[in-house]
Amino acid sequence: MDYKKINPLVRWGASILLLFWTVCSVYPLLFSVFQSLKDNQQVYSGKAWDLPNLPLLWSNFSYTWDKYHFGTYFLNSIVVTGGSMLLALFLTATTAYVLARYTFKGSGILYYLYISSLTIPSLMLIVPMFFLFSALHVSNSFTGIILLYSITAVPMGMFILMGFFKSLPHELEESAVIDGASLYGVFFKIMLPLATPGLVTISIVNVLQFWNEYQYALVLLSDAIKYTLPIGLGVMQGEMQYRIEFGPLFAGLLISTVPVLIIYVLFQKQINDGIVAGAVK
Amino acid sequence: MTAKRTRTLFIASFILPTLILYCIFTLYPILRALYISLFDWSGSSENMDYVGLGNFREMFADPIIYKAIGNDYFLVFWKVIGIMLLATFFAVALTRFKMRGAQFYRVVFFFPNVLSIVVIAVLWRFIYNPSFGLLNGILSFVLQRKVEIPWLGDSDYSIWALLPPAIWAGIGFFMILLIAAIKSIPLPLYESAEIDGATQWKQFVHITLPLIWEQVRVSVVLIVISSLNGSFAIVNVMTEGGPDNSTQVLGYYLYQMGFKQYHMGYASAIGVLILIVSLLTTVILQRLMKREVVEVS
Repeated sequence: MDYKKINPLVRWGASILLLFWTVCSVYPLLFSVFQSLKDNQQVYSGKAWDLPNLPLLWSNFSYTWDKYHFGTYFLNSIVVTGGSMLLALFLTATTAYVLARYTFKGSGILYYLYISSLTIPSLMLIVPMFFLFSALHVSNSFTGIILLYSITAVPMGMFILMGFFKSLPHELEESAVIDGASLYGVFFKIMLPLATPGLVTISIVNVLQFWNEYQYALVLLSDAIKYTLPIGLGVMQGEMQYRIEFGPLFAGLLISTVPVLIIYVLFQKQINDGIVAGAVK
Repeated sequence: MTAKRTRTLFIASFILPTLILYCIFTLYPILRALYISLFDWSGSSENMDYVGLGNFREMFADPIIYKAIGNDYFLVFWKVIGIMLLATFFAVALTRFKMRGAQFYRVVFFFPNVLSIVVIAVLWRFIYNPSFGLLNGILSFVLQRKVEIPWLGDSDYSIWALLPPAIWAGIGFFMILLIAAIKSIPLPLYESAEIDGATQWKQFVHITLPLIWEQVRVSVVLIVISSLNGSFAIVNVMTEGGPDNSTQVLGYYLYQMGFKQYHMGYASAIGVLILIVSLLTTVILQRLMKREVVEVS
């Protein structure tokens, strides 16, 4: 359809709505940056939505980082997210590979078992999980949370990766086996490298999810030095019910957000592919 | 070692780590949740009192449960309407209207989707702040008088106030899904429609919509499932179910019962209820939205 042939009224309406939504999407983030550089006086004097006065209070960031322990939370989030990402990658790739390229007793059942767990609301598992963690002596431990996060990411990731593995030609395996490669050699030296785009996609999508995870971390990490960023930010806001320190609060918000924004901007194509592959079942 | 044995060992070594973890961290907790829901249990004592379906009977008599289900459906209903209307419109505008900067809009509209729910809640609490929030600021400007509505603190508005953040944070994801669907529609279909003089609206109704219906259906189901499960987080950070249970939802009530009042049995029963509600809703919606699948030859 030629751009010119569209009813100008529709075109103008669409442009205005698109611009409006651009403002809605970006402004809150910009505003958080402004807010994180102000002191409370500027907020309360009716200038909450203006640009920050000079000098900019960069000290809000170091204050939040030290006094509100965001340094610790940040490190915790990196450990939890990084660990879960690596483990999830391993679990997902091995399972997806075998289910995509081998047929064996129970392979069909296994596939449906994993896929059907996508419809289970994770919230109903929160009570048993709490007691399971203490029974396994992993309450308040990153080990427990990493195991849990990675297994929750398997069904969706497996779904995406199976497509990749299925599309690789069988001749590759056959010639490798003739050349004397073991089954593990075929997987690690040939199949895995060929599936790199898929591996990158699921890793990025998983990282965003692990970094932002809230409900399990809230219940299973009750020790303050083990909090991840979302929990730390939630607690910080809760403590400020009566006397809000806006600058530090928004500094904390940005510390939690900037890493995922960077990842998003760098990898938006892979995230896009992941959504499309994952949701079009 | 025979080839068959090698193959079996290989498969087992690849399947078992995941399967074992899956059994421990997914399968077992599901069964355990069903089991705990049959007991009256504080979580701390050794003895669990078996009450059979007692927790479920108690639920039928609990007015807060009805309030929570009502709120869950309220949120689901308006989220589906709001997200699907806007996401579809944006997807069509960015593909069929050939708007300039489509790539830019696509990237920007997804921004809110990468934020954690706590960040979204902190932002929107500030927007709703009665004395200097953005919303009251805009209203004051438009109405030319001081508006100081406590959006989250007034039970008339509080549940409505939970909607905009959810819609705001959900659009990008579904827009991308629908863009992909629209892009896979063969262009000749539109070209011949155009030769026949079909307007942009007619093309949307007769070509685009039928051919993306599968994705629309998937999207609606995803919104329902994620809403029943995810509204816990936003309620926890924004309103804690209040004021006066006006923003109570099943998810948050479960958390409150389990981890604030230590009724683990009752909390698990609410978990089972959430499962039933989400399965039922999904099945009913799938039925209602069933259409002949349009094949493009």
